[in-house]
Amino acid sequence: MSDEERDMEAGTRSRHDSLPIDNRDWTPPKHSVTAQLGLVKFKPDEDAHLLVKDKSVCRDTCRRKFCTHTCPAQVYRWEEEEKTITIAFEGCLECGTCRSGGCPYDNIEMRYPRGGFGLQYRFG
Amino acid sequence: MNTTTNTPTPRRFEAIVVGGGPAGLAAAYTLAAGGARVVVIERGDWPGSKNMMGGLIFSQPTGQVIPEFWKEAPLERHVTRREMWLTTGESVLKAAYESTDFGAEPYNSFTVYRSRFDKWLAEQARAKGAVIITETLVEDLLMEGNRVVGVRTGRPQGDLEADVVILAEGVNPFLAEKAGLSHGLKAESLAIAVKEVLALPREKVEDRFNLEEGTGAAYEIVGEITNGIPGTGFIYTNRDTVSIGVGVILKDMVDRAGEAYALLERFKAQPQVRRLIQGASPREYAAHLIPEGGYRGMPKLYGNGVLVVGDAAGMVNAAFTEGANLALLSGRMAAQTVLKARDCGSFEALTLSHYGELLERSVIMKDLKTFEKMAPFLSAHPHFFSIYPELASAAVKELLTVDSLSKADKMHLIIKLVKSQRPTRKYLKDLYDGWRAFS
Repeated sequence: MSDEERDMEAGTRSRHDSLPIDNRDWTPPKHSVTAQLGLVKFKPDEDAHLLVKDKSVCRDTCRRKFCTHTCPAQVYRWEEEEKTITIAFEGCLECGTCRSGGCPYDNIEMRYPRGGFGLQYRFG
Repeated sequence: MNTTTNTPTPRRFEAIVVGGGPAGLAAAYTLAAGGARVVVIERGDWPGSKNMMGGLIFSQPTGQVIPEFWKEAPLERHVTRREMWLTTGESVLKAAYESTDFGAEPYNSFTVYRSRFDKWLAEQARAKGAVIITETLVEDLLMEGNRVVGVRTGRPQGDLEADVVILAEGVNPFLAEKAGLSHGLKAESLAIAVKEVLALPREKVEDRFNLEEGTGAAYEIVGEITNGIPGTGFIYTNRDTVSIGVGVILKDMVDRAGEAYALLERFKAQPQVRRLIQGASPREYAAHLIPEGGYRGMPKLYGNGVLVVGDAAGMVNAAFTEGANLALLSGRMAAQTVLKARDCGSFEALTLSHYGELLERSVIMKDLKTFEKMAPFLSAHPHFFSIYPELASAAVKELLTVDSLSKADKMHLIIKLVKSQRPTRKYLKDLYDGWRAFS
């Protein structure tokens, strides 16, 4: 079975459970979006507009570290040694995935950056 | 674009529009044209700077807001050919429609860059008298009891008051949630889309996509590219770039801890796609959520002193990948409602319910009702994105491959193949469920 097929198999969620089945350990993302993000213009604010609500959920409850895969900007990174999620909010595409199910444990608080900060599309 | 720094901004307006996208700007344009004092508050450096879509806009609805917009608006190409691709790993089955009618005024659709088009739209609204405030985030609504009376911005002394607030804040409805109109969107009724803009010389775009000068093509792709997750890919031609992207249902992607950009990479690597974009250099990467909940997923659309339009109101027809035109029309209808309410001197929910009536009578709600069961249907039937494209492709391949088998034998083989993939009763159930979902 290939990795991709295993991913397909893992795609289950019981009808009565709002959470996806979380029975596999974290693996790093398959692709890096560093090059893509280098093409986007950002005006980073000093203050973070993204926040993990309860770090123990990331550490103890969430095995797959869903946000490290579901965020299209790879803002969230799992640091295996420190057992913590770090947030590179400066490269956030402000899409809202993390507040709308991208973290199935609803453990991320997202605001928009202050006016005049954050991403700026030239094409959009 | 920051036009207000030199002129003192009055703190009270007749209408406040939160968000400078197609919905908010259509509302502001219509209100200003109707003589109302309206302000648009946009968090980006210019209206459009935070906005992203695939990029098609349609002439008829856009022209309803700004007649003959194509004469001046920053457009990329007018689309004369649409293609639908059904892909497996190796093969593509294509359906195409091309019309010379689409190549003449009033045209049918255009490719645009949201960031540039919305900037232009804001200039049109400003020319009609709308005030556009940029680099300003609306952080909260000002309430009096259960009535919205204004907004609190992130600026010092940044409160603004108005008779009515139009929420055009986009797919993340922070304020509509605060007003109790929306309960937020769930992952099952959202799609996550990622897109790249890839630069190619103009002649190459026209050669590779078989286009006459200035005309464009729009491709929608279904099948293996989304790796079994319900969703679609798209390729749109711009003047000297190609927009290419993938959108998948967020819930299904999260369940598999999937990566939208990895799907886009797969899509770009498919041989039939790769040769279209070969040598193109990436210019921008973008991501956006799409509210695909349809009619069922809509929030309350109005309250006392408040209206919700565009993505914030779930105005997307996922079946036909239409969003911006619904946004424009909903913004216009909200503005028409406010102009009428202004004549009555009342901005209560009861008066503003006229917006709901306008929507119900419009093509927007008719279409959304038709397709309201589509999102749950596709989520429950992911094999529509895997098994069926494979089967269709295998059947066509068998018929087109000339070998020693008779055509009758080939038909027999195809039927055997179809039966081997799923039991007949499941096909019948799919057919029945599909019929129920789409009729």
